[in-house]
Formats: sequence, C-alpha cells, structure tokens
Amino acid sequence: MTREPPCDLEREAGHVSVPHASTANLGEDALWDSEEKYLKLLDGIKDYAIFMIDPHGQILSWNTGAERIKGYKAEEIIGRNFSCFFPKQDIERGRPEEVLRLAAASGSHEERGMRLRKDGSRFLASVTFTALYDRNGRLRGFSEFSHDLSEKTKSEAKYRGLLEAAPDAMVVVNQGGEIVLLNVQAEKQFGYSRDELVGQRVTNIIPEGFAERLIADGTRSAAEALAQQIGTGIELTGRRKNGSGFPIEIMLSPLESAEGILVTAAIRNISVRKDAELHLAQMEGRYRGLLEAAPDAMVVVNQGGEIVLLNVQAEKQFGYSRDELVGQRVTNIIPEGFAERLIADGTRSAAEALAQQIGTGIELTGRQKDGSEFPIEIMLSPLESAEGILVTAAIRNITERKQSEEHLVKTVRELKRSNDELQQFAYVASHDLQEPLRMVASYTQLLAQRYKGRLDSDADEFITYAVDGSTRMQGLIQDLLTYSRAGTNGKALRAISGETALNEALASLRATIEESGAIVTHDPLPTITTDGTQLAQVFQNLVGNAIKYHGAQTPQVHVSAAKNGGGEWIFSVRDNGMGIDPQYFDRIFVLFQRLHGPTKFKGTGIGLAICKKMLDGLGGRIWVESQPEKGSTFYFTVPERNGN
Amino acid sequence: MESIGNGAAPIEVLLVEDNPGDVRLTREAFKDAKVHINLHVASDGAEAMSFLGRQGDYAHVPRPDLILLDLNLPKKDGREVLGEIKASPALMSIPVVILTTSASEADILRSYKLHANCYITKPVGLGGFLEVIKSIDSFWLSVVKLPREEHS
Repeated sequence: MTREPPCDLEREAGHVSVPHASTANLGEDALWDSEEKYLKLLDGIKDYAIFMIDPHGQILSWNTGAERIKGYKAEEIIGRNFSCFFPKQDIERGRPEEVLRLAAASGSHEERGMRLRKDGSRFLASVTFTALYDRNGRLRGFSEFSHDLSEKTKSEAKYRGLLEAAPDAMVVVNQGGEIVLLNVQAEKQFGYSRDELVGQRVTNIIPEGFAERLIADGTRSAAEALAQQIGTGIELTGRRKNGSGFPIEIMLSPLESAEGILVTAAIRNISVRKDAELHLAQMEGRYRGLLEAAPDAMVVVNQGGEIVLLNVQAEKQFGYSRDELVGQRVTNIIPEGFAERLIADGTRSAAEALAQQIGTGIELTGRQKDGSEFPIEIMLSPLESAEGILVTAAIRNITERKQSEEHLVKTVRELKRSNDELQQFAYVASHDLQEPLRMVASYTQLLAQRYKGRLDSDADEFITYAVDGSTRMQGLIQDLLTYSRAGTNGKALRAISGETALNEALASLRATIEESGAIVTHDPLPTITTDGTQLAQVFQNLVGNAIKYHGAQTPQVHVSAAKNGGGEWIFSVRDNGMGIDPQYFDRIFVLFQRLHGPTKFKGTGIGLAICKKMLDGLGGRIWVESQPEKGSTFYFTVPERNGN
Repeated sequence: MESIGNGAAPIEVLLVEDNPGDVRLTREAFKDAKVHINLHVASDGAEAMSFLGRQGDYAHVPRPDLILLDLNLPKKDGREVLGEIKASPALMSIPVVILTTSASEADILRSYKLHANCYITKPVGLGGFLEVIKSIDSFWLSVVKLPREEHS
C-alpha cells in the first residue's frame, strides 16, 4: 500500500515531530514551549488535523485542519481523550491505548483506520503519532497528524474525468464489492442514477461473476485473484434497474488508491455482438446441413490451407474418414493449385486472391487415400465465419466428363475427317468419272451424227439409248460435282442487298421467264451480310422451280422478307403452281429425290438439295408450306449479322 | 503429224494431250478448219518439252505457232510444262491455250499467273467440244496475228 502524496506537508510535519534532537540544549519546558510554537505555526493548515495529546491521550492542542476534519472546535475538544475519534468497536478492543503504546515504543506510529467525526460519521484517515520526550527521555505526550483519505484529491478528479470520457460504462468497485465511482455511461446502461449506485453492492447490477473475482480465497490474495482477470474480456450478465438482463463483457484493471486497490471495470453491452454470434452459429448450423445435402464433395478450408469441415461425399470421393481429414492440410487431397489460391502474394491480399477465383471452375487433380489420382473441377466461394474468411470448395469428380470430352473430341475429329474424305471423294469421283463418260457420250454422239440412217433401224435405236443414257449420266455427275462444291467456297461474308441477289437470279432465268410468261414480283428486301453468290443461287433455284412446276394459270411468283425474333431474316418465295403433297415435304430436299419422271420435267433433283446445303453452310434453314393445286411457299432463313 | 489443208503457209499446232479420244475429236474438229493446220501431238509433258527443245526424235520438227495444253498429264504435269515454256526466252512468245477438264478456280488463276494466253474448260458434250475447237481455229488461227519465228 502506498500513501497518497500530500507529501510536502507531511514532510514538514515530520521535521516538526522530531525537534528534540536539534534543540537538546534547551530546558525541557522551553522545549515543550517551542513544540507548542511550532504547532501554532501549523494552526493555519486546513488539510491536516494536527494536535497534541498527553501520554494518556488527553488532547492538548487543536488546529484549524482538525476542526474542519473532525468537526470539533478547540474549546469543545481540548481536554477530552483522543479515543473519542475511534469507532466504538476499536475502543472496546483497546485500540486507542494500543496505538499510543506502539508510538511510545518506537517513537512514532503510522496507520490507516476509520475515524469518527463529531457528528458520528466515519472516514478513513491516515494518522501519524509521534512520541515527544523531555531532555531526560521522559514521555511528555504525542503529536498526531491525520488526514481524511476520503477527500477528493486532484488525481482522483482527473481520474473521474477520464472515467467520464470512456466510451464504455465504467464502474469502480472496492474490494468490499461496493461501487465507489461510476460514469454517466454506466448510469445509462443500467438505468440507475449515480446516487442510487454509489455505495451499493456491485451485485445489484452484475449479479454474478464479478464480485467473486474481487475476493481472495484460500489459495490467493486479492491482488493475485485480480491479476488473473486483468485485461481478459469476461462475459457476464448485467441487470438493469427494471430487472432486465443483458449480455456484457467486462475488462478489469486495478487502480491503486488511498483506499487500497480498487477495481475499475469497463463494461460493454454485447447484445448486438451476441445476436450476431447467435445468428452466425445458426447460419453455420444451416450451412452444415446444406453441406451434407450437396451432391458434390464439399470441403471448407481456412486461409492457412487446413481443412475445417467436409461432407460425406468428400469422405467417399477421397477415401478418407472425416477424422482423418479435419485439421489436415488440403494439399493432402488436392496436391496442387488450391492451397496456392488461398494465399496472398506481394500484389494481392488474401481476399483479393480469393475474389479472383470465386465461381470459376478450376480443373485440378485430386488424390485419394490410396494415392490414386483423378481429375476434379473445383468451385470456390468465400464463407465468412467467426473464424475469419473460410473457403468452401465444391469438388466434382470429372473423370467421366473428361472421358466423354475426349471421346467427343475424338468423334468430332473422326467425323470431320470422314466428312472431308466424303467431300473429296464426291469431287474426285464425279470429276474422274466424267472423263471416260465424256468419251462415251462424245463418241456415241459422233456415231449418231455420222451413221444415223446408214445402219439398220435397230442400230439407230440402240445408238439413241446410248446417247440418251450417257447424256443423263453426264447431267447427274455435273450436278453431283456442283453439289459437292456447294457451300464449300468459304467466301468472306459481305453486306449484300437482297434485291441485288434476286435480280442476279432473275437475269440467269430470263429465258425461262420469257418462255413461260411468268410474273415475278417482290417486296422490298433487306440488306444482309452473307455470301451473295450463294444467296443468288438459292433465289435462282427457288424461282426457277416455282416457274418450272407451274399449274394451269400463268406462273406468278412473289418474293418477300420479314424479320423474326431470333435474329434472322425469313425470306419467302410464293407461287401459284401445282403444289406439293405434304408427305413429300422432307424428301424434296434430299439429293436426287424427284417427285416427277424425267419425261414430264427435266432435271436431276439437285436444286433444293443444293439450296439446303448452302443454307446449312450459311447458318440458315429451308422449309416449304404447300397444298397440291394451291401453290407452294418456300421459306428460308438467313441470320442477320453485323446488326442488319 | 499430218498436214491439214493446202495453204501456202500451214499453221503448226502442238496438242499436248494424253487422251487419244480427245486427240481424235480435236483432229475431227480441225478437219473443217479454214486454214491449213499441221497438228502435232505429244501425249505427256516430257514429250512436249522434247518436242519444243527439238531433242532426239524431234530434232527436225517445226517450232509450233500455237500450243494446246492439257493440265493433267502423265510424267510431267501441264502446269510445269507451262511454267517452263513461259520461262524460256526461245519459247515464251508461243501462245499457249490451256484446254482441260478442270474448272477449278485455283487452276485457272495459277495458269494465268504462269502467263497462259487463255484458259478453256473442255465442254462435256460433243457439240460443245467441237464448238470450242472451231472457235480456237477461228480466233487463234484466223483472227489473231501470231508471231512468226525467224529460224523455223
């Protein structure tokens, strides 16, 4: 215990208390007189009670400080015994006499103790008794210097200021468990006014867990008991005046004061945090449920790369039991590429590192307990928890997908090769077939020209069939060649007016149109970005067919275009011709499929097949709507590109 | 190598063609030609180059006034023959007409880049073929002025 510092005065008092040594040459009365003089000098001092008593405790002098502190006037008290300043129980114990005995024995005695004022109120006093002797060493009496420790000192005032400035509720409690001091936040927090709390037991506002901490038990001193709690946040329950409880966290710190060690408690209302924690705990509970319900293996990892949580699918997938994985490094099951992503490097924080990975499917390799590896895809997402940001990894075994991807790639490659081969085959076959056929056709024709009518009629007929057959075969091969080339040019797509393409087609069909007297009309047609040559060929085939397969009336063909919602232009070519039975709608687009014999309509059945192939290549479609005798409408789509 | 027609200055034509059927058809078509034509035939590219270089058996053949060249030939390809003719100062002035079944745009472009004088795809029909040979006759052998070689 340290004493509060009203030191200058006390030191001065100390000087005064031992004058007998330095005044040894004076007579004893003179000495006593000089003591009295000194005391008179001290009479004006207000902060200290200073007075003299005789060897039996009878009061001999009285100063202003004594009057102020103890409440007695000099005339009231001089001559009375100083034991009247002691509480009753101390008197009964013989404390006043003991104090004097101690002072007489050692020359001085110092103590702290409760004292009574004239009005009976008690106060804690710091008291120094000094024995006074005469020249012969005979005890003449004592001087008493005392000080009221409960009076506010300057440092206490400063402390109070600090207390009020603190953001938390602050309560200062003595070791008896009584509230000594509190700040306005504490008043608000607990709903009491200051006066209602000072001097009250702290258990009124913190029923459990605080007062117990202040008290020494059999194994430790109060200071030790306290030291164990210093600085730690202790979660307790506070009780308001209205009886309601709320969660608090208290931080204790010791405060040495004149009254001994006090305990300052900073009290924080942690209702909000508690609610949040509860919410989080519920969320975690729910999250755990979700985790187990997930179809994928799920592993939750902290930023240190340790597995915090996993679900049963993860156990199965990696062949470990849960206990074998929790707390282990995630690199045990995903050797590369995952842990690295959790870690901040020089250019990014952990949160940023993570943010870059969120949601993306990362293909890595997983390792099972038996050491076998398998391809996985992981999706990361952050999870804020009480333990900091965790990372949830959904881990999918993509062995099958990988296999099917490989299979698909292989199939596509094979398909492309066989398609290329087929194309090459069609071209080479038709081209190479054409050479010998040209010979057959040319020479049968030459034969017919030079020998018709010069052989017998059988020969003429045979030659006619040979010429006819070879001519038709030439047509087929020519068409096959055209078909195999159609749409394979890979020309750059350019913006072309639909009307330009149609006009090109009509120019090629001029003779046909004139012969048939057909009337071809059209609506305004859009400009689209496509292969103009192919578009013209499609128009030529469709308009040509519309005229060729006419009905009883003069052929009328109308071309129009409309935009559909799917980013396409739909072109239509409508005629008033003979129409098509719906059962043949698909067949007419197949190569060399015809609905009529060669005697009625010439042709090999390639026009629509070529149209379909070209439109397939341009990303479009073609279809027909028709009824026999009621005309047909052929529709085809072309994707609108470049914003057309 | 037979002489066609009876004009004072017969026109020497070298036909480079491996198909005897086409050779015969060409010969038939030139029968009605307005001018005297000496039609020489080489059945592959190597033979054509020997003819033009007057090597071996061809030491005494005339320098052709016009060459009809097929592209797809055994031994030496028509494209190579064309390149060699047009790279040779002695031969480059001889007009070369490409007469082939190929209608491929790549072949057409390549031939003109090698300085072919014109490119004709053989028509598939007899009538068309005869027509083409007649037009070669009327254009290249009648209308066009061909360079005459001094040392023939």
